[in-house]
Amino acid sequence: MGRFHIDTLVAIFLLLFCGVFLTASFSIRETSYASLGAEVWPRVILIFLTLLSLGYLIQSLRHPRSKPTEEGPRGPKRWFLSHLNAFWCFLWFGLFLLSLPYLGMLVGGILFVFVTLTSLGRRDWHGHLVHAAIAVIAVGTMWAMFTYGLKVFLPTGTIFPF
Amino acid sequence: MTLGVTAGLIAGAIPGFTIAMAVVLTLPFTFGMTATQGLSTMIGVLVGGLSGGLMAGMLTGIPGTPSSVATTFDGFPMARKGQPGLALGIGVWSSFFGGITGAIVLVTLAPQLARVGLEFGPWDYFALVMFALTITSSLSGKAMLKGIIAGSLGLLVAAIGEDEVNGVARFTFGNDAIRQGFAFLPVLVGLFAFSQLLSDVKDRAKASKPLMPKGAKAVRVEHRRAIVEVLRRWVVVLRSSFIGVFTGILPGAGSSVSNILAYDQAKKASNNPDEFGTGIPDGIVAPESSNNATEGGALIMVMALGIPGDIVTAVMLGALLIHDVVPSPSFISEEPVLAYSIFIAFFFAHFIMVTMQALCLRIFVLITRIPMYILTSVILIYCAIGVFALHNVGFDLWTLFLFGILGYILRNLGFPLAPMILGVVLGDIAELNLNRAWSISNDLSLFITRPWSAFFLTLAAFSTVFPLYQRDRGTKKWTQFYFPIFAFAIAVPVMFMGGTVRPVIASGLILLGVYLLWRRVQKGA
Repeated sequence: MGRFHIDTLVAIFLLLFCGVFLTASFSIRETSYASLGAEVWPRVILIFLTLLSLGYLIQSLRHPRSKPTEEGPRGPKRWFLSHLNAFWCFLWFGLFLLSLPYLGMLVGGILFVFVTLTSLGRRDWHGHLVHAAIAVIAVGTMWAMFTYGLKVFLPTGTIFPF
Repeated sequence: MTLGVTAGLIAGAIPGFTIAMAVVLTLPFTFGMTATQGLSTMIGVLVGGLSGGLMAGMLTGIPGTPSSVATTFDGFPMARKGQPGLALGIGVWSSFFGGITGAIVLVTLAPQLARVGLEFGPWDYFALVMFALTITSSLSGKAMLKGIIAGSLGLLVAAIGEDEVNGVARFTFGNDAIRQGFAFLPVLVGLFAFSQLLSDVKDRAKASKPLMPKGAKAVRVEHRRAIVEVLRRWVVVLRSSFIGVFTGILPGAGSSVSNILAYDQAKKASNNPDEFGTGIPDGIVAPESSNNATEGGALIMVMALGIPGDIVTAVMLGALLIHDVVPSPSFISEEPVLAYSIFIAFFFAHFIMVTMQALCLRIFVLITRIPMYILTSVILIYCAIGVFALHNVGFDLWTLFLFGILGYILRNLGFPLAPMILGVVLGDIAELNLNRAWSISNDLSLFITRPWSAFFLTLAAFSTVFPLYQRDRGTKKWTQFYFPIFAFAIAVPVMFMGGTVRPVIASGLILLGVYLLWRRVQKGA
C-alpha cells in the first residue's frame, strides 16, 4: 500500500461522493419563482466539502503511514474479527427489517433479539434458554407498552398479524 | 418526571451509556404526552443522567458518563479511603447546588438573551449557525478537519429531500421515499445510539462479561455531613457553576468539557493543589457543580435562540418540533406556559434527583451484573420500536439502519459525530435564513456589515484557528498575538451594535487588547 493508508482511501471516496452529488445537483429542477434556487445551498456545501476532502487527501499523503498499533500488524482477517459483533448486529437488523412485513414487530423483534443475543453471547442450551426468555420478556413488554399503553400501531405481519 | 430522573440516574451510572443516549431513548415515550409533560420527562432524564455518572465513577473508578470524568479523580480515592457514603453525598449535593445555580441563571438569562435574539436578522442567524458548527468542529481537537467534514456531511444530509422553501426535490435518485427527506430522529438515533451500542460490543470478551466484574456495593449516602462540606465550599460551588453555565452557552462545549475545566480551576485556586487527586472534597465539588450547571447554560441557547449546543439539546429541540413548538427568540413570550414549565422542571428535577439517588444506587448495583451484549441487543430493538413510533413510517427504520452503518463507519475512522448531528439539525435553519436573507437583499456584504453577523463570523473564524493556536502555543510567535487580535476584532462589531452598554464593552475589549499586546511586547523585549 506504500503511502496509501485508510485516510487516503476515505478522502478519495469523499471526492467521488462529492462528484456524484455535484453532478446530481444539476438535475435539480429550477423554478421561476425562487429568489434562491433549490440547488444553490447544496452546491455551496458540496463545493466546500470537495475542498475539505482535497485538504484531507493532501494531509493523508503528506503524513507517513500511521504506526502499527501495540497489538501488532492488523491483517484483513484480524480487522474482520474485530468488527464481527457489529457485522452480526447489522446482518440481523437488516434481515429483521426485510422480514418485518411478514413477521410483524412482535415476532420479528423477538427473533431479532434472540438471534443477536445468541450471536454475541454464549451458545449452549442454558444460554439459548436465557436468551429466549430475555427476548420474549423484553420485546413482549415493550410491544405491549407501545400498543396498549401509548396506543402506537406497530407493524403487523402477513404471517403473524401482531 | 420522577420516572425520568430515575431512568436518567440509572442510565448515567452505566459506563458506556451517555446521557444523550438516555434522552434519545426516552423520546418515544413522550409522544403520547403533552409538550409540557414530554419536555419535563426528558429534562428529568437529563438531570438524572448528569448526576448518575458519579455513582459508577466513585464506586468503581469508571466514570458513568464523560461529564463525570473529573469526579473520579478525587471521588474514587475518597471512596477507597473508606468514605464512599461521604463521597457520594458530596457528589449528589454538589450536583444539586450546581444545578440550582444553573436553573437560576437559566430563568434570569434566557428571557434577556431572547430579547437580544429579537435583534437578529436572517444574516445574523445564518452566521450564528456557522459559528455553532465551526466551534463544535474545533472542539474535536486534533481531528478538526474531520470534524468540519462531518459537519458539512450533516448539512448535506439535511439538504436531501424536498427543499423547504421552494418544494423542489433534491438528491432523491428516483426514490420517492427520500422525497420527504430523512427524519431527524432516526438519523440521530442511527448515527449516535446505534453506532455507540455496536462499538460497546466490539470486543467479544468484554461484551460477554458483566459491566463491572468486581461489582459495586450499595452504600448509605451521608447527606448531613455532605451538605456541611459542600456549603463550606460555596466559593468553589459558585465558581464551578458559572464555568458550567458559560460552557453550556457555548455551542459544542458540553458538560464533558466543563467538569474538567472546573476541576482544573479549583486546583489552580486552591491553597493545597498537591492534595488534588488524593480524595479531597474540593475535587468532587468542582466537577459535579459544573456539569449540572452546564445544561442550564445549554438550555438558555435552545430556549432563547433555538440553537442547540450539543446532542442532548439537539434532541430537546427535536422533541419540541415533534410537539409543533418551534423555539425562537419569541418562544418565551409566545409560549410562556411551556417555557416556564421547562424552567420549573429543570429546577424540580434536582430535588427529585437527590431523593431518588439512594434507590437508584441499589438498582445500579443490580444492572452492573448484566453483560453488555444483552443490554445492546434489547436496546437495538427498542431503538427500532421508538423510531417507528415517531411517524409510523417503515422508511424511518431503514433510515435508522443506514445511518447506524454510517455512524459506525465514521466513528471507527475517527470522525467526530457531534458536528455531523448538529449539521443535520442546523442545516434547515441555515438554508432557511440564507433564503430569507437573499429574498430581502442579494447584497452579500450584509453578512459582514451587520454587527451581529460580523460578530458571529469573527467568532467562527477565531474558533477555526483555535486548534492551531493550541498546537503552536509557546513554540510559534504568532500565537502571542492571537488573543490581542481577537479582542480587537471582536470589539469592532460590538462597537457598532448601538446602545450604551455595548460600546462600553467594546472599549473595554480594545483596552484589554492593548494591555495584552503591551505585555507581549514587554515579554518579547
